[in-house]
Amino acid sequence: MALIGTRRRSLSLPPLPVILAVLAAGVATLPLFAVLVLAITGTGADGYLRHLASTRLPDYAINTALVLITAAAGAALIGTGLGWLIARTRFPGRSIFEWALALPLAMPAYIAAYGWLDLTLAAGPLGALPTVRGWWGAGLIFALTLYPYVYLLTRDAFLRQPPHLEEAALALGRSHLSAILTVALPAARPAIAAGLALVAMEALADYGAVIHLGAPTLTVGVLRAWSGAGSLADAARLAVMIVGTALLLTTLERAGRSRARSAGQRNAPARTALRPVGSVLAALACLTPIALALGAPLARLAWHAWHAEPAQNIWNSSLNSISLAAVTAGLAAAFGLASAYALRSGGRLAAIPVRTAMLGYAAPGAVAAVGVLAVLGVVQGGLDHAAGGLFPVLLTGTLLALVFAYLTRFAAAAIGPCETALARIPPSLDEASRLAGAGPIRRFWRVHWPLASGGILAAALIVFVEVLKELPATMILRPFNFDTLAVVAHNYASDERLGQSALPALVLVALALPAMAVVARQAVAPRRIELR
Amino acid sequence: MTAPLLTVRDARFLRGKREILRGIDLDLPEGGVAALLGPSGSGKTTLLRAIAGLERLDGGEIATPGMPLDGPGTWVPANRRGFGLVFQDGALFPHMTALRNVAFGLTQLPREARRDEAMIWLDRVGLAHRANAYPHELSGGEQQRIALARALAPKPKLVLLDEPFSSLDRALRAELRHRTTQLLAASGISALLVTHDAEEAMEMAATIALMQDGRILQSGTPETLYAAPETRAAALLLGSANVWSGTVKAGRIETPVGTFAAPEFQDGETAHLIVRPESLRVEADGTFTTVQRAFRGGLVDLVTIAPDGSEWRASVSPEMFPESERAGLSASPSDVVIVRD
Repeated sequence: MALIGTRRRSLSLPPLPVILAVLAAGVATLPLFAVLVLAITGTGADGYLRHLASTRLPDYAINTALVLITAAAGAALIGTGLGWLIARTRFPGRSIFEWALALPLAMPAYIAAYGWLDLTLAAGPLGALPTVRGWWGAGLIFALTLYPYVYLLTRDAFLRQPPHLEEAALALGRSHLSAILTVALPAARPAIAAGLALVAMEALADYGAVIHLGAPTLTVGVLRAWSGAGSLADAARLAVMIVGTALLLTTLERAGRSRARSAGQRNAPARTALRPVGSVLAALACLTPIALALGAPLARLAWHAWHAEPAQNIWNSSLNSISLAAVTAGLAAAFGLASAYALRSGGRLAAIPVRTAMLGYAAPGAVAAVGVLAVLGVVQGGLDHAAGGLFPVLLTGTLLALVFAYLTRFAAAAIGPCETALARIPPSLDEASRLAGAGPIRRFWRVHWPLASGGILAAALIVFVEVLKELPATMILRPFNFDTLAVVAHNYASDERLGQSALPALVLVALALPAMAVVARQAVAPRRIELR
Repeated sequence: MTAPLLTVRDARFLRGKREILRGIDLDLPEGGVAALLGPSGSGKTTLLRAIAGLERLDGGEIATPGMPLDGPGTWVPANRRGFGLVFQDGALFPHMTALRNVAFGLTQLPREARRDEAMIWLDRVGLAHRANAYPHELSGGEQQRIALARALAPKPKLVLLDEPFSSLDRALRAELRHRTTQLLAASGISALLVTHDAEEAMEMAATIALMQDGRILQSGTPETLYAAPETRAAALLLGSANVWSGTVKAGRIETPVGTFAAPEFQDGETAHLIVRPESLRVEADGTFTTVQRAFRGGLVDLVTIAPDGSEWRASVSPEMFPESERAGLSASPSDVVIVRD
């Protein structure tokens, strides 16, 4: 009798989500693997690295360290302070600032850098201020554009703390300030660490801002090795140093976040109502970073755009940017959703490809691009060999390669939000719909999609914004004569033609801001999605 | 009788336009446990937070002998009131070990002594062996014991307990109640317990104040409150009760369980008769119909319907349990209370 405990074991293909998840893992990790192999076995330009090591490499390394430390310190200060303010106090405008404070994530650091450098040059309107350049200038720009990672995570941590934590310290005789410093802040430490790891990784991946401000980091080194010396293997060797740092930061971030999660449930917020003076100060504290990250540089660029001859190819590059970002976002969301499903239904084994795919985020754009070039080089070589001659150039320098590199880096960004979106659907709903006779497809469209579509949309939008902002991978892999807004803005800016750079930069931010606003509002909603 | 440890006079508190506290008067005696008992939303936790100094009153005063704490032009913040406080969820500092949590409030002592004193308190709550555990490694009951030790260690004159046991399961709750009562008695620290659990209030407290809708309905010893409630609401807060409403005729009120003198009532006035289920006498035969029986170990709960259609609950011992569907219920005058509200 087969009444109890029969479970049909299917020997057919694994379900679609698992296949897609494995594919995502491959896309994410193959380039990283290729970079590693290339770094070990590839033949570089003769003596390039040795020459570099005795000349610029120490500078790259020192700049990287200084920029990362400055960025982290600034973002910690801004992000933690604002996180506490929003989580623990009540003042007019608080609920708007709650999400608006995440908007600077729509601002590419290099565009903020163009604006700020120009503002603070001796001849600029803010010439009286110290000129924003060098490692501290880059660190400052990163702090202003990346603090939202710290803000979002610490705000969440403060909301998760038992509401009475600070009150318990008060009742034990501590002053308000001492209660915050000895209790609230240390209890939020894992979240702060996780946020800072994200800030450092983004800063590490940047190319446009550090080169514009004259603080070349290791990422700049990768691009120069490839474009200047034409040596992919040397680029890969430098890339390995970056990936090492990034993996270290990822580990830190994961550890911090899992500890922050274990800290407890979200609670009904116990917020102190601020008095009028306090409210004004709080609103100012929230306005300042937004004004500095978005307002000031955008205003300066708008002024330039108004006074300069427009660049000719703004429509083309806009269209290119939008379509690349949209296609990548769609694919990343599909990968993310598949991975989330694999995790939900596939058990432990399915978790392996998903966790592997998450590694892709440790690949800065430049590294991903080098990896993709290496992978495609091998494939092309294989095709040439099979054809017995030069097979038509299929892969390198095509949009396919570009989307491949974007997915390596950003598919991971879509997995997290999709996972949280699906996690909101209790398994009992699945069982209920199964008992009601719904098959997997009907279950998806009628039950899962309506409940999770918001989170999946947010996942796509995150990737959309990231691809719009992406510069180094695009520079390495874009087909000849194919420009995106980011590339156009960068090229003009590096020719010191800020007037022509301003319009594409403004269009880019104008496209990214609404998408980021949707993401930000979801990121602070009670049942929020997670940015990474 | 010594002077009260703490007095509250005409305390008022608004949240937006809602009146949370509507004129509370309260005297906390020195020594022993007092309880604020009321349903959720009655304002009892707000009153406790006002006493702790975590909320400021919109009217009225809070004072200790010789020291006003809250009132017009007076405000002593929580950190200078020196009261202990235990929250419902414990509110242990998650980044500190049990030992450091308990030592947190002992700022007056030098470093070494702080540690020793904290160990003594951990020992008193039976958790010396968990000194180096972090809160997330402790069970719910252990966390509450640490929270109690942390609140008592600085030796406050008064410790405020905000539903400290309500997140624990029943057996654990009983054990922790017992332990807490002993600890408070041994250390001579007075306590104010806020709870919605009548059993808990009656077991732990020497005096109880019944709260509802931001007012204190009645206060007194558990025995008085149980046997002589002044209102229907007060009676129901302390446990299950039969309430029957009728009109007084010639100084008497006629009910299905007997006719009782109501000397303080005018003719034609509405009066409410209150009688506890265990005070009703049940006979095997009579005019009541039994519609439900529930065996509860030592007692059997009956639900019966009187000839006039009113419902009466009675608790009887199993040997007195009438087999038939018919039953006779009556009450003696000493077991009933007749009230206006």
